[in-house]
Amino acid sequence: MAAAQKPRPPAPLRILTAVPICDGHDSAVSTINMELARHGFEVIYLGYHCPVDVIVRAALQEDVHVVGISSYNGGHIVFFKEVIDQLRARGARDIPIFGGGGGTITKADERVMQRQGTDRIFHAGTPLADIMAQIRRDYARPLKPNSKLRGDRALARAITLAESATVGAALRRDLSDLRSGQSPSRRKTAPTANARSFVVGVAGPGGAGKSTLIDELTSRFLRQNPTGRIAILANDPSHPDTGGAILGDRVSMIYAQDDRVFFRSLATRGSLTGLSAAAPAAIEILKKSGEFDLILVESVGIGQESDPFRLFGPKGPLVDAMLFVLAPYYGGRLQLQKIGLLNGADFVALNKCDHPMAHTARAEIAARLDVNGKGQRLFGTVAAQHHDPGVDTLYAALADRGGLTVTPGGEKPCQLVVAP
Amino acid sequence: MSSLGRIADAVDAYNAHVSAEVTRARTDAKFAADLRARWAKIRASIETTHSPTGTPLPRLALPPTDEPGAIAEYLFGQGLPGEFPYANAAYREMYLDRETTTGEEPMRLFAGLGLAEDTNARFKHLSTHQKSLRLSTAFDGPTLYGLDSDHEGVLGKVGEGGVAIDTVEDMTRLFAGFDLTRKDASVSMTMNAPAPVILAMFIASAKRRFGPGCVPNLRGTIQADMLKEVQAQNEVIFPIDASLRFLCDMIEWCVPNMPRWYPVSISGYHIAEAGATPVQQAAFTLSNGFTYVELLRARGADVNAIGPRLSFFLDCGLDVEYLVLGRVCRRLWAIGMRDAFGANTKAQVLKLHTQTSGRSLVTAEFQNNLTRTAVELMLSYLNYTNSCHSNSADEPFTTPTEKYATLASHGQSIIMEESGVFKHMMNVFGGAPGLLILEKEVEQAILAVFREMDTLGGVLAAQEQRYQRSKIQEAGHAYEQQIYSGKRPIIGLNKYVTDEPMPSVPLARTSPKKQRLQVERLRAFKKKHAKSAPAALQKLENIARGKGNVFAELINTVEVCSLGQITACLTDVVGKFRPMV
Repeated sequence: MAAAQKPRPPAPLRILTAVPICDGHDSAVSTINMELARHGFEVIYLGYHCPVDVIVRAALQEDVHVVGISSYNGGHIVFFKEVIDQLRARGARDIPIFGGGGGTITKADERVMQRQGTDRIFHAGTPLADIMAQIRRDYARPLKPNSKLRGDRALARAITLAESATVGAALRRDLSDLRSGQSPSRRKTAPTANARSFVVGVAGPGGAGKSTLIDELTSRFLRQNPTGRIAILANDPSHPDTGGAILGDRVSMIYAQDDRVFFRSLATRGSLTGLSAAAPAAIEILKKSGEFDLILVESVGIGQESDPFRLFGPKGPLVDAMLFVLAPYYGGRLQLQKIGLLNGADFVALNKCDHPMAHTARAEIAARLDVNGKGQRLFGTVAAQHHDPGVDTLYAALADRGGLTVTPGGEKPCQLVVAP
Repeated sequence: MSSLGRIADAVDAYNAHVSAEVTRARTDAKFAADLRARWAKIRASIETTHSPTGTPLPRLALPPTDEPGAIAEYLFGQGLPGEFPYANAAYREMYLDRETTTGEEPMRLFAGLGLAEDTNARFKHLSTHQKSLRLSTAFDGPTLYGLDSDHEGVLGKVGEGGVAIDTVEDMTRLFAGFDLTRKDASVSMTMNAPAPVILAMFIASAKRRFGPGCVPNLRGTIQADMLKEVQAQNEVIFPIDASLRFLCDMIEWCVPNMPRWYPVSISGYHIAEAGATPVQQAAFTLSNGFTYVELLRARGADVNAIGPRLSFFLDCGLDVEYLVLGRVCRRLWAIGMRDAFGANTKAQVLKLHTQTSGRSLVTAEFQNNLTRTAVELMLSYLNYTNSCHSNSADEPFTTPTEKYATLASHGQSIIMEESGVFKHMMNVFGGAPGLLILEKEVEQAILAVFREMDTLGGVLAAQEQRYQRSKIQEAGHAYEQQIYSGKRPIIGLNKYVTDEPMPSVPLARTSPKKQRLQVERLRAFKKKHAKSAPAALQKLENIARGKGNVFAELINTVEVCSLGQITACLTDVVGKFRPMV
């Protein structure tokens, strides 16, 4: 109880890093990312070849302290300006931008870019330690409640506050504030107490293809619900020693780049349950907003532990349904018995089911679920394949359970013949 | 076991064979006598030449020995220039006396800036003193990613770092005034994910200019190496299997229809620039090459038909391993192709283009870059590269300006024409003690990487597990750390730093006016073909959904569709590439 009063250490600085559109130079930014994480920062990395709108949307939804752009193949003056202009147009003038580009961004360019709103350029030869110190010095600041924020930014800030709140009373107070007054923008139909969001937990071992599957499910949601919105909460581990994290789930989201998608990366910050300690509050915030038809909550890579979604819900499970994703190489029938989450899952996806081991895996898992006797459903998916019919079937089952709109005919069949 | 395991085993077996032959030469009198006789015959066939100061020299330098074991070691272990296993060179004479022969100069300079007519002008400038016509094209970011110049958010990148090509009309402007059907003309294009579209534009444009019969005469190279894109350079549009299908379609079409064209340039350059060590560069490049051979063979191609149509492209930096990297690669490729794939002589030869290292150049006191590039050029020629590009000293901060592009070109001429190092004798350095030590070490390290990838299931499986990416990133990180710690000295950057201010250098940037002009041209093209484009795209889509050769159809599609329209159409069929972190 006394422990609950003890303030947590200050929340890590959250920084968004990206490489501009038509630029694949990710060597420098990879080094910077690792260094940032080593210094205890949370890095939301967007990857290379990033369009302006993807960067701006991520900056708002991830509620970052600062955006860093690494540009190596020219056009930086125009590109940085477009990012700044769009951030301003979307009410995020307060998010600063810095950049780097080896020798390609000259001092003269930097002067032009600073006039247009870029904070600073780190030139070639700046020691990494100096870069880290300057970032900490200039951009670390507590993110406070701000009643002027609107839309996704307001939601994002509410989640940030839930993440950084001290355990207990403060968190509850923030939540009740959110409910009572400083609410994020809501659609015209006010949310009812019985918010209509269908919340699905997605768990599974690392490397099973959870993120890819989530992206594919999102693409089906977007196509079949012409106006609905979807939220994704992606939990990733913080480094146990430094407290930093590289949150890279957005990189593999190639279809989920849309304003109808609210995507938020959560670092676990010491929570050992497979979810950030703020995940329950974040789900609550998203549900209460009344914005989302579907909310997907991705756990960190887990398997044999207890079910994070049940562990968290003192008043019942945290989610309406749970999807467990695994790949065929789980290591044999005995290993399968140890996967406790197979008991709690409503849906099981055997992903990468084009793998040679999938045939046996499918039979073993089906037998395992049969013993449970809970009517759990098993789906074979190849999330990495475009228009995979297995993912179509899985989405249809989820949509059916969640009462989501299904517009048939959204998919084009594809008998693509590819290289052997 | 994947083919990498078999290749590594084949190299071990070959090395054991060489050792056995050396022993036999020392113990079997008849074999020793045969070797001596062959050695004497080779010596007798070597002509003598004279340096400008009158020193008589053999055109081919051989080890000064008559000991049968040493002869066997040389002939089987390294091979004469132009003979298996090709450690010394792909061909017998390479750089000798080009003034007096019809041989082409190895210089090939990479250029691309602004709009097509700007690059055309740069080509004309660079080729002024060239005997043969060797052009090499750099494209801008939007073109490399298959986007049109009017795509949202790319305007600032139009014509930056390379030329903007949206349509077949741009392609015609790019090579205007050059006779591409000349016997000694050769065009290189650094183009990967959209390579089939760009090559289709090149063909369509050439047909317009030189008539439909010109295609077999077109000579050159398109990079089109999608594996290294996935592993290092990140210019990928379509999912990997679809990317490989489009590539294989193009190669299969080119093999019979464009006998003078190299439809893929298997590239280590970008792997090294992204951070790989020299050993990793060689291991990943060679293993990617073997993977293409396997893929094409699985589609029914004949190894002996495709082998001679593959070319290679390596980076040459300042690390000591670069003394031998090209030599070792040629040897491993030849042994692998012969003994693991059963390829014939022509299909065993690794033909090498080398570029000096861009990563080794820095902005600080950038004129030092002239020296860095000169040293790298020497290393490249020591490895008997078949062609070579030298970087401009101003590259760390701008698309090369004319002044520094000219200096880079003259650097090659000074080494190859002014200096006598490579002019008179082949094989000046082969067999030097340091080279032999390095060759062995580097070769063994490459084989170790092959074996590691083999345990992961081969190149494609390793790639899916991010093996190559992770190794390259790790090495890149270590390289940066060495610079920061000073363990890797960079003169002017972390050692012997002076306070000399950066001289003002005019930057080659594309003006917003030109960028808008490109967009206008593109829009006019789209408007002109608004009626015919949908049917052309539909036809392409049908072929892409079925089993037909996409490349053969692209040659028609580009007549009325832009690059971006075609990319969008194919993306609709096969989806997008999901990036790897």
